[in-house]
Amino acid sequence: MKIDIMHLAKLARLRIDESEAAKFEQEMQDIIEMVEQIPELADDYQDVDPNHPMELRADDIRPSFRREELFANAPQMQAGCVVVPKTVE
Amino acid sequence: MELYSKTATDLAGMLRQKQCSAVEIANSVFDRMDAVEDRVKAYLTVEKESALAQAARVDEKLAAGEELPPLAGIPVAVKDNICTKGVRTTCASKILENFVPPYNATVVERLKEQDFVMTGKVNLDEFAMGGSCENSAFQKTANPHDLARVPGGSSGGSAAAVAAGEAILSLGSDTGGSIRQPSSFCGLVGLKPTYGAVSRYGLVAFASSLDQIGPLGRSVEDVAMLYRAICGRDPMDATSAALPQAAASWDLEGGVRGLRIGLPWEYFGEGVEEPVKAAVYRAVEELKKAGAEVKEISLGSADYAVSAYYIISSAEASSNLARFDGVKYGYRAPNCEGLTELYERTRSEGFGAEVKRRIMLGTFVLSSGYYDAYYKRAKRLRQRIMGEYEDAFADCDVVITPTAPSTAYKLGERVGDILKMYAGDICTVTVNIAGLPALSVPCGKDENNLPIGMQLIGPKFSEGRLFQTAHTWEKLCGGFNAIPTL
Repeated sequence: MKIDIMHLAKLARLRIDESEAAKFEQEMQDIIEMVEQIPELADDYQDVDPNHPMELRADDIRPSFRREELFANAPQMQAGCVVVPKTVE
Repeated sequence: MELYSKTATDLAGMLRQKQCSAVEIANSVFDRMDAVEDRVKAYLTVEKESALAQAARVDEKLAAGEELPPLAGIPVAVKDNICTKGVRTTCASKILENFVPPYNATVVERLKEQDFVMTGKVNLDEFAMGGSCENSAFQKTANPHDLARVPGGSSGGSAAAVAAGEAILSLGSDTGGSIRQPSSFCGLVGLKPTYGAVSRYGLVAFASSLDQIGPLGRSVEDVAMLYRAICGRDPMDATSAALPQAAASWDLEGGVRGLRIGLPWEYFGEGVEEPVKAAVYRAVEELKKAGAEVKEISLGSADYAVSAYYIISSAEASSNLARFDGVKYGYRAPNCEGLTELYERTRSEGFGAEVKRRIMLGTFVLSSGYYDAYYKRAKRLRQRIMGEYEDAFADCDVVITPTAPSTAYKLGERVGDILKMYAGDICTVTVNIAGLPALSVPCGKDENNLPIGMQLIGPKFSEGRLFQTAHTWEKLCGGFNAIPTL
């Protein structure tokens, strides 16, 4: 199978240099060849284990983090807002 | 015998009998770090000051006659994909190089309640993707048994630190073998708990349906002690389970009389090195002499499990890692013109090659036109694997396999050979796929004096029986706790 590595990179929001593209493509081909060996099976998949169902906590309003704590890791802040490049022309 | 080379169980006893102080234990571990860390390179962040302060508080409480929990004063290293409030948590990735979490993972909170001493944060393959620790963006960790070899991965720092005496216990995470394989390579006991037994809140997500946090240590009792401290329901993780009573209680001295051991022949095939097979067979023979019944069983889908694992884990990783966009936290590429450029450059400069490969693979198997052919096929195989284990556990109590097909290989030996690297997961991935608990314990050495690991797999929430079986073997073979000369 032919893999369009540049298209995949675009979907994944990654940039692959032209110089790396061939190597990446070969690696992906090898991996795909490996995973294609999985046999076709009947579809009886259950996403949730019936013996251990997930349990959501009550949707209560509770104290959370302070804004300053959360924004301490933000790369660029201005007036209490995260700064990003212009998104609308 | 230096304090750093003792087990947590021994140290807990000594603390209570006033044979040593928590500060002395911590100092012994940090002195050891001074002596060997420049060669082992297990730590990404060392927390000496806060660790010594915490140890001093434990000593004060002891002096005041307080009853303390079992892990009080015990030095524990934490894998650097587990969030620690105020302490940098990098996932060994440039994209999180300066990330300081505003909260603790639930497991860290539980250990704080026990007054543990955190020595620091330890190395891993970037975002836990890899089996040798060589995918760390920052440093390569060495195996304390042979510094020219890998410690395994992805929890390579967790394993190397404990094996070298730079911590008494550690926490790792296991998505496809990332606790068990480094435990095997470094001669340790390591547990991948039942899916849902331990809260994942605060574990930076790789593949959410497979990830579990678990303990590594130098004895079965130590690992059981750390497991008991971290397991149980957490409202912050909807997939965490209220443990059945039996799952958190065990009798280590219970022996193996009447225990039914299953050996799946598919896990002893040509892909597994001869000395590894021989060592596992020898250990099983000893358990048989001690009263266990041994039978050959079949787990037929083993051959396809690695493929299913890479499809499922990469699909989940591509979604989980979409959050790293350079906007609210983590690395941001400088001087970007627009939002798309910001995303693309941030992610391309911030992620290493293996992480990009898995994101691309995951994007591919989830993309329009390929979803049915790959992702759905892998999910069906997942169901089949679960069914095979269910059938196996109708006939036996514990399944035993090698933990890894080989012993520790040389640094650099497999870099670039991606499929060979992936094949190293062959013995461990089905356990994550089926959500089962599995324990790796040492079972001998190969001709290069490198540790070999044996994997004990049980039905969901049977950790107690795994500990009991492993402890029986530990006594039969004379114990595991030996730190190599460095």
